Amino acid sequence: MTQLVENILQALAAGLLAGAIYGLMCVGLGLIFGVMRVINFAHGDFMMLGMYAAYFLFGALGIQAVAGSYGGPYLAIVLAGPLLFLFGYAVHKTLIARVTGTRTAQLEGEGHYAQLILTLGIALVIQNGGQMLFGSELHSIRTPLSSSAWEVGPLWGDFVSVFVNKSRGIAALFSLATIIVLALVITRSRLGKSLRAAADNPEAATYMGIDVDRAHRVAFALGVGITGIAGGLLATNYPFQPYIGLEYVIVMYAGVVLGGMGSIIGAFWGGMTIGLVQQLSTLILPTQLQNAAIFVVFLLIVFLRPQGFFGRVVERT
Amino acid sequence: MTTRRIVSAGVFGIGALAALGLAGPAQAQNPAEVKVGLLVPLSGLYARPGQVMKMGAEMAIEHINALGGIKALGGAKLKLVLLDSGDTVEKAKNAAQRMVAQETDLVAASGAYLSSFTLAVTEVTERAELPVLTLSYSDLITDRGFKYVFQTSATAASQARQCLPVMMQVAEKATGQKPKTVAIITDNTGASVASVKPMREGLLKEHGLNLVVDETFTPPLSDATPLVQKVRATRPDLLFFLPTVISDAKLVLEKMNEFGLGQARIPTVSFGIAIAEPEMLRTMSPELLQGVMSCVGSWGSKGHEKLIAELKSKYNEPWMTQNAISTYADMWVIAAALEKSGKADKAAVAEALRTLDLGPSKYYPGGLIKFDDKGRRVDAGLTILQWQNGIPNTVYPPDLAMSEAVWSKK
Repeated sequence: MTQLVENILQALAAGLLAGAIYGLMCVGLGLIFGVMRVINFAHGDFMMLGMYAAYFLFGALGIQAVAGSYGGPYLAIVLAGPLLFLFGYAVHKTLIARVTGTRTAQLEGEGHYAQLILTLGIALVIQNGGQMLFGSELHSIRTPLSSSAWEVGPLWGDFVSVFVNKSRGIAALFSLATIIVLALVITRSRLGKSLRAAADNPEAATYMGIDVDRAHRVAFALGVGITGIAGGLLATNYPFQPYIGLEYVIVMYAGVVLGGMGSIIGAFWGGMTIGLVQQLSTLILPTQLQNAAIFVVFLLIVFLRPQGFFGRVVERT
Repeated sequence: MTTRRIVSAGVFGIGALAALGLAGPAQAQNPAEVKVGLLVPLSGLYARPGQVMKMGAEMAIEHINALGGIKALGGAKLKLVLLDSGDTVEKAKNAAQRMVAQETDLVAASGAYLSSFTLAVTEVTERAELPVLTLSYSDLITDRGFKYVFQTSATAASQARQCLPVMMQVAEKATGQKPKTVAIITDNTGASVASVKPMREGLLKEHGLNLVVDETFTPPLSDATPLVQKVRATRPDLLFFLPTVISDAKLVLEKMNEFGLGQARIPTVSFGIAIAEPEMLRTMSPELLQGVMSCVGSWGSKGHEKLIAELKSKYNEPWMTQNAISTYADMWVIAAALEKSGKADKAAVAEALRTLDLGPSKYYPGGLIKFDDKGRRVDAGLTILQWQNGIPNTVYPPDLAMSEAVWSKK
């Protein structure tokens, strides 16, 4: 009995920690989709760039030497976010803007076909460019935190101890903090207002003097920056190579759809649900079916509640 | 007649002479170079092992050519043709189709790292009658009655049968008693599945081992908590852990440490090379690997020092994994088959491989350079390594061992 309780609590803890990082990735993608209605296939690869950015800032650019192996990774991740923001900004300005926003009026299918092909192309270029630049070796932001844990318990006599991995625990807190800051920016600031306006009704927003293309650019860059941070957080406990984006982009999309296309909070809960299902399913199903379980739950939710958890009823940005 | 016409008439004339064999029989029989294929993952999740296989092949070809090439073909040089098998079975199969369609003058090939890839690739090469040497482990590769595939490693089942008694001996010597309970954590790739199959089907029982945890996962893992929690709950005397992807090896070993089971507190034995790749050290600290053992098809060991040093200076590889040394050896075997057949022709090379008998093997552990009816190397042995102070040392067989195996007494 105590063993069962321990197994459940341990899976729950692992699910919450994994879910918090998935949630942050999904928020980045959800923001882009919510504001711009662009399906971004390159999102997993932007995450990969975030991992490498944090890795190089931490190692090659000397943050490890200055801030050590405990605080250093997180300082590197904080700096990788803005770098990825700038990268996203540049990618939008030079490429994505050609097939989105006010220019789409002349394009077939409101530019969606062109967007799909373009983001897929960007994904291929980033993956293969990544292999040329960084090589095929696995990298990892090495911190002693990734192999140590806080032990909660014993909760029941001498039994039922739950281990919370330190690097995943910190990553989860970091991810929550990022989402709170983002929520504040979107609800309280002028920038957030323009993003919401551009998302709700681009035409009306233009009439009100809002530069919709600029709002899109900021949303895209923010989405990329946030996913870059999520990538950095993941890199503290998960080794990566240039093709890692592929493993996560499906999880990201499932999370965004689960939460309700267009809802940022929904995207977070969608990611969280995936983390929980992935870990808790192992209590009753063989581990092999971990990822199959995600998609069974995904199909169930799409079937029973097609608009996702938060649909469009709550908010669209 | 314009100049262009004169030139083209000349070229036609020479071509016609050559076709009639009048332009010199020596050139027509002996090509200047002989093409050998290497179909391995060069992109995607498994790109790194593919790159290391490429290093081994390049080194061998350089050595063979420096020693005068294929003498039976008038000193023809070997030329490596690289093909990327990608990271899925479908891509590997497509690459094989491309290889047999576009590179029609290949005489033999080596590939394709993962057993699952090799199984798919050899379906294609068998039909094209192209001989393929492979370091993959799955028994199925040479159980299908194919005539053009040659397995240089001991098969997975054979490795399990060879490995288990050694492990029991080492454990008994160190602790005074044989392990009684065992856990298996394996991924579901071809080689891993083939290794655990005989264990589940009676091999463990034969050695008095009781299987208390039996978990199979699909790589890559995103988190190892559920797997390691099961090991923690049962505390077996021994863990068989079979990853193919390095990130899975890291996640499980780090999680073991986190749960207080790491650093071989529960002695951990792997099959295959993933766990002993130099990359492990890039992703985790060496202390967490201390004591972890692995049974592999071959490894750069005692007697290969010169080769290991060359690999190190040339490619900056700290040690020689099976990927490098087996592929190195494959090229020499292909060269020997070319010498024997005296023809740069895939059918002749295949026949030469079937009848080759070069005596004891130098670069593969144990056995002979000779293939049986199934295409398996006769009496193929294995090497067992153990992580000791940040290096995977060969600890078995005794003639190749660089140090003694250590078993945790905790």
